[in-house]
Amino acid sequence: MSVNPKVNILMVDDQPAKLLSYEVILSELGENLIKATSGREALEYLLKTDVAVVLMDVSMPELNGFELADMIRQHPRFQKTAIIFISAVHLTDLDRLKGYERGAVDYISVPVIPELLRAKVSVFAELHRKARQLETLNRQLEERVLQRTAEIRELNSELQQRVAELETIMQVLPMGVAVAHDPECRFITGNAALSDLMGMKQGDNLLKSGDGELPYDIYQNGQKLQPGEFPVQRAAANRELVGTVELEVRRRDGQMAHVLASANPLFDDSGQIRGAVGVFFDVTERKSLEDILRERAELLDLASEAIVVHDSAGILSFWNSGAEALYGWKREEVLGEDINRILRTGFPVPQKEVEAPLAAAGRWEGNLTHYTRDGRELIVASRQALKLGSRGRSVILEINRDITAQLQAEEALRRAERLGAMGRVAGIIAHEINNPLEAISNAFYLLRDHPSLDEEARYYARLAEQELARVAHITRQTLSFYRESQYPVSVAISEVLDNVLELQSRRVQLNGIILEKVYRTAGIIQGFPVELKQVFLNIVGNAIQAMPQGGRLRVRVYECIEPSTGRQGVRASVCDTGSGIDPEHAKRLFEPFFTTKETKGTGLGLWISKGIIQKYEGTIRFRSLRFAREHATCFSVFIPGTAFGQKQELTVSLAAS
Amino acid sequence: MISDKPVILCVDDEENPLILRKLVLEKAGYEVVTSTSARSAVEIVSSRHVDLVLSDHLMPGAIGTELARQIKANHPTIPVILLSGVNEIPADAGAVDVFLSKAEGPERLCEKIAAALAEYRKPRSTP
Repeated sequence: MSVNPKVNILMVDDQPAKLLSYEVILSELGENLIKATSGREALEYLLKTDVAVVLMDVSMPELNGFELADMIRQHPRFQKTAIIFISAVHLTDLDRLKGYERGAVDYISVPVIPELLRAKVSVFAELHRKARQLETLNRQLEERVLQRTAEIRELNSELQQRVAELETIMQVLPMGVAVAHDPECRFITGNAALSDLMGMKQGDNLLKSGDGELPYDIYQNGQKLQPGEFPVQRAAANRELVGTVELEVRRRDGQMAHVLASANPLFDDSGQIRGAVGVFFDVTERKSLEDILRERAELLDLASEAIVVHDSAGILSFWNSGAEALYGWKREEVLGEDINRILRTGFPVPQKEVEAPLAAAGRWEGNLTHYTRDGRELIVASRQALKLGSRGRSVILEINRDITAQLQAEEALRRAERLGAMGRVAGIIAHEINNPLEAISNAFYLLRDHPSLDEEARYYARLAEQELARVAHITRQTLSFYRESQYPVSVAISEVLDNVLELQSRRVQLNGIILEKVYRTAGIIQGFPVELKQVFLNIVGNAIQAMPQGGRLRVRVYECIEPSTGRQGVRASVCDTGSGIDPEHAKRLFEPFFTTKETKGTGLGLWISKGIIQKYEGTIRFRSLRFAREHATCFSVFIPGTAFGQKQELTVSLAAS
Repeated sequence: MISDKPVILCVDDEENPLILRKLVLEKAGYEVVTSTSARSAVEIVSSRHVDLVLSDHLMPGAIGTELARQIKANHPTIPVILLSGVNEIPADAGAVDVFLSKAEGPERLCEKIAAALAEYRKPRSTP
């Protein structure tokens, strides 16, 4: 709508000249001017268009101005249409005019003063325009009111539906809901689930019961709560959310339930507290399941095996204490990680051959290689089972038992058996040789200085005797487990070593070896001197042979406690800075007939030495370090014994008496 | 005493080793009586003077340790040395004074015999 729409001004006069003059006068107003030369024509215009002002001459031949005005007024639509009469002033006319006063009527006497006519018409035109605008506004307002009313009605019914839905939901909800209807929480109702949980009838005030005593008590952490401490009451009193708390509902009929509860205050539109709502979730079943699960988890943690759970991609979701102990990885470090990456799993067969039977039969068993956190290699007997998880994801349960030590023990046993078998064979052969050897030795001994032999024959006999000595040396080494005496005597290891070093002193000197002796103790044990001498003759002899270009030889004797067994005893070590031991040779060092000295060694020395030390329930071990310039090899013999203080003296004195 | 030389009873079931051992011992200055079985050895010890018995350990019939026991039963002052090729002292070696490997050679054998005789002569000289 434009600000100033034009209105229609209807001019009625039977004389066109007058009409023309009005038109000239009123054209300044800028309104629509309609000319009618008769009352009939004017009526037609009125019916067709909305006319703001009718300007009419009173005296017209066919239908005069008053008659036309009466007709106009009769029509209800035009009762308020403004009419301006133009006429000469007659008294009678004035009276008549009064009859129209209800409506908007005016008159202008002739001669017509143009300014007056313009002013009057303009007033009515403006009035009409305003009336029209008001009507439009009114109509629009009514339309909007109607529209709003419809909307509100719709909202209201929707709201009612929602309320009905909510109420239904509340009643079928498996969760307990409490509503406090006043800020002091005097009246609290519960839905079906909550009333049931509390042992009350639905719709009853949860804080009142017929006989005055509530049919339930609420406990938190084993302490009974007063009604003011219930979550709903606290939410209302403190005007704030009460986060989830774990409660125990103990009913008078003996039933008990674990619930998780939370509550929220309710405010009205003005922000005043008007009550509170609480939600109670029965977790009794879940709680007992949790208890069972916790027990299971504790059981799993008691197991010494590593028990782990991972998905098909190896991502870990469980890691028990056994796994922590075995692998050295803490639970929080590995959960979510790939087990095969963490443990650097080595499969005995291609990984696919593990996965295929797992997928097909749900099970796999076999040995795996794993590495601990600190890099130790383990062999584990692994049992794996595929389980379908609750969410459609399959998980693999894996139980691993460390069998490294067991395998090593088996390997050691096999090696010992092999050594034993070789030793027996060597023994039998040596024994069979020993008998004729003695006879031949005796024969050459007799022959050596026989007077009938000339120089040349004696030379041959001596050569033969020397070579025979080599054979004797081998068999003696092999069979030298014999003891000259049946009973062990007190032997000082330091003395045995001194004895050996004296025997070797020439070679020590020749090779330019610096000798260092550190005896922290005499190292007295019960034993057979010949055997011990043989052991150290081997070890010291090897050390000297390893240093043809000189070096340092350090011999130490000290009392100690063997860390692995806690036994007391004497340790003697012989260290050299010689050629060192090839790591490839290290494993075979104590095997019979193993020698690095080519033709010079029997390959029996260390094997026999080990056998002797084992008879003393001792250990013999070595360590060889190879550096760029220098190597160091250290042989160490531990012999357990009561070589300490009084006990030793007691043994000696008993033996003496 | 017929002669100054100590008398050694040498026992072995094998003839060659026995003869050679006898020769070595004679060369070392001993009088040597031989026997090829433990049974005849026991007879010899009870029928004549013997200063020391040197016997092979493994023989058919009675073995060395058994022979030692029988000799010691009647003649506790006669030292018994067993020559052995085995690498373990048998459990019943209580009556044996010295075990000696056959691979030790003649010189060491003579040393041991001399030592054993000296050992047994000592207590005899005291009373």
